[in-house]
Amino acid sequence: MHNAKCTCWNCPAIDLAGKVDFRACGQSGKQFDKTLDSTQETHIMAECKRRPELGLYDPMAITFQECPQWQETPYGYILKDMRVMILGIDGYLGWTLALWLGSLGCKVSGVDNYNRRNWVKERGAHTIVPISRMNQRLRAAKEILDIDIDFRQIDIYTQRERLKEFIDEVKPESIIHYAENPSPAFSMIDVEHAIEVQKNNVLGTLALLFTIRDTVPESALLKLGTMGEYGTPLTGRPLFEGIFPAEAILQWGGREWSLGGELTPRDPVSFYHVSKVQDTFNVYEACKYWWLRSFDIMQGVIFGVHTDQVAADPRLRTRLDIDEWFGTIINRFVAQAVIGIPLTLYGLGKQIRGFIALRDAMECMTRLICAPPEPGQYAVVNQISGIHSARQLAYTVAKIGREYFNLPVQIQRVENPRVEADEHPFEALYEKLPKRYGFKPKVTIDEEITRMFELFLTPEVKKRIEERKQVIMPKTWWSGVKKEVERLELLDLKGEIEEDERLRMFKVHR
Amino acid sequence: MSDCECLRFTDKNFNQEVLQSDLPVFVDFWGSWCPPCKTVEPIMDELAKHFDGKVKVGKLNVDQNPATRSLFNISGAPTFILFKDGQALERIVGARSKKQLVLFIEKTLESQQPE
Ligand SMILES: NC(=O)c1ccc[n+]([C@@H]2O[C@H](COP(=O)([O-])OP(=O)(O)OC[C@H]3O[C@@H](n4cnc5c(N)ncnc54)[C@H](O)[C@@H]3O)[C@@H](O)[C@H]2O)c1
Repeated sequence: MHNAKCTCWNCPAIDLAGKVDFRACGQSGKQFDKTLDSTQETHIMAECKRRPELGLYDPMAITFQECPQWQETPYGYILKDMRVMILGIDGYLGWTLALWLGSLGCKVSGVDNYNRRNWVKERGAHTIVPISRMNQRLRAAKEILDIDIDFRQIDIYTQRERLKEFIDEVKPESIIHYAENPSPAFSMIDVEHAIEVQKNNVLGTLALLFTIRDTVPESALLKLGTMGEYGTPLTGRPLFEGIFPAEAILQWGGREWSLGGELTPRDPVSFYHVSKVQDTFNVYEACKYWWLRSFDIMQGVIFGVHTDQVAADPRLRTRLDIDEWFGTIINRFVAQAVIGIPLTLYGLGKQIRGFIALRDAMECMTRLICAPPEPGQYAVVNQISGIHSARQLAYTVAKIGREYFNLPVQIQRVENPRVEADEHPFEALYEKLPKRYGFKPKVTIDEEITRMFELFLTPEVKKRIEERKQVIMPKTWWSGVKKEVERLELLDLKGEIEEDERLRMFKVHR
Repeated sequence: MSDCECLRFTDKNFNQEVLQSDLPVFVDFWGSWCPPCKTVEPIMDELAKHFDGKVKVGKLNVDQNPATRSLFNISGAPTFILFKDGQALERIVGARSKKQLVLFIEKTLESQQPE
């Protein structure tokens, strides 16, 4: 088990109240040392909120493996009935994770203000996989999976007091923060939308950090960032996991320094991505000032529709969007293939990104929940399971659509409405999740795409795709222009798919 | 997580393991809230292997062991100190690459050799 040797130092049930010394890396600990009793061997003595009978003890003395409160699961030891709060629980990932963690025995609570439902409605779009209202979702979770979810409708930015009361009441041991607007294109519509996204994301997260400080500072915060924060540097230098390793050396003027521990440069690609970068800095600072513990999860693009829990009943399904604002690439390609719109590559279509399947993303989150960071630790992981170019994905969808579903799938290149390099090197590191937290991807792209075809070809979903096909083609230009993109080229698929086969043998993967 | 090849020093064992040691000892004073300290973790393990039998390599958490922190006036993390015969020979502060740390240890020991 990857977390067997973690100790109470990592555990959210530890109570360090008043015994810590907030400071920066170069700041003296002297002031604090005045109170030092030199006969004491371990200064930080802690209490356990779950096992008060232990009294004051050395938090390094007990490992997760030894503690009866930590129980074995396939994803690591997890706290018995762990209290997990999901912010943004009504969303694509939030709902899926709620059911996943509930099935593992966690006590799940959650918050949402239905922003996402409203934003999608405002754009004249809809989720192609129909989803129930929250009260029906909650009832179905109980009825079908025997999961109780404690839900409150709260806006984490404007209703800070209510959120604080709820957190104080539940005392979550882990807080998963998904409650943000996830759309680059939405943030580029106009000034109102850019402000809406930045205000909601940046200020919501900032408010949350203060609330955690004041209510549950020992709780682990898992906050979602995105691989898009890094951009795609044309030098091809690796995209490290958020922080430079000590072996990264800066040479200048004949001298050299280790960059170890410094945040790596960010080059966001939309005002949405800027909001995520700002979040990163706010979380980083909060860990430094207040000893909060956080994983900043630089997540790749998620694709797919499946976990065992969401597939257990139509009322348990999670949302899936394909419109130009909220539809992510693979999900959108499969929908286009199903209704006969040629898959749309923007520009050259040679953009390369990191991806991960919905189910695998849930497993990664669980593994991280199982291994909370240490006090004050700001840790970053790149959460992806493979690297692919847009073209490669289009070929894969086209091939599966043609061969297994007998659909005449075509691919077109259209004008790129974004301001981005459409041909660039890309070397992302994603070693921590496999090496430290024992994650191995379980879902292949082909397998999940096949599942999506199966679901999208059911009459109800197919009808819902048809109903909103006019919102798939982008009209939101980063330049501010308002017009539908024009086709540049319809690709000759035969040769391209053969080329793709060669590419696959070759593997763009690391 | 405490999976590490290098040694763990505490207020309790510091005298015995470091100050009374026959071998020179290289100590990393670190904190869990310090990102540079975290990036040096794997390097400390490599140094332990690299100097096996010649220099003892280990780390001490400054929050859990404040008596030692105070004794050696640690004001920044990570601070690396090379000890020999109970004396702190030399210190550096801030993250370093493996190569830089190896060089630091070797140079410091060399400068202690009689002419
Ligand atoms: N889906 C992806 O491919 C992807 C990739 C990288 C990162 N992410 C990040 O993951 C997170 C979740 O993504 P998702 O795809 O599930 O998005 P989503 O929109 O489906 O889920 C977010 C949920 O948060 C809620 N929300 C938003 N603002 C809120 C507020 N102020 N108060 C309360 N609730 C609020 C929304 O109503 C929605 O239900 C986001 O932070 C996103 O940036 C997603």
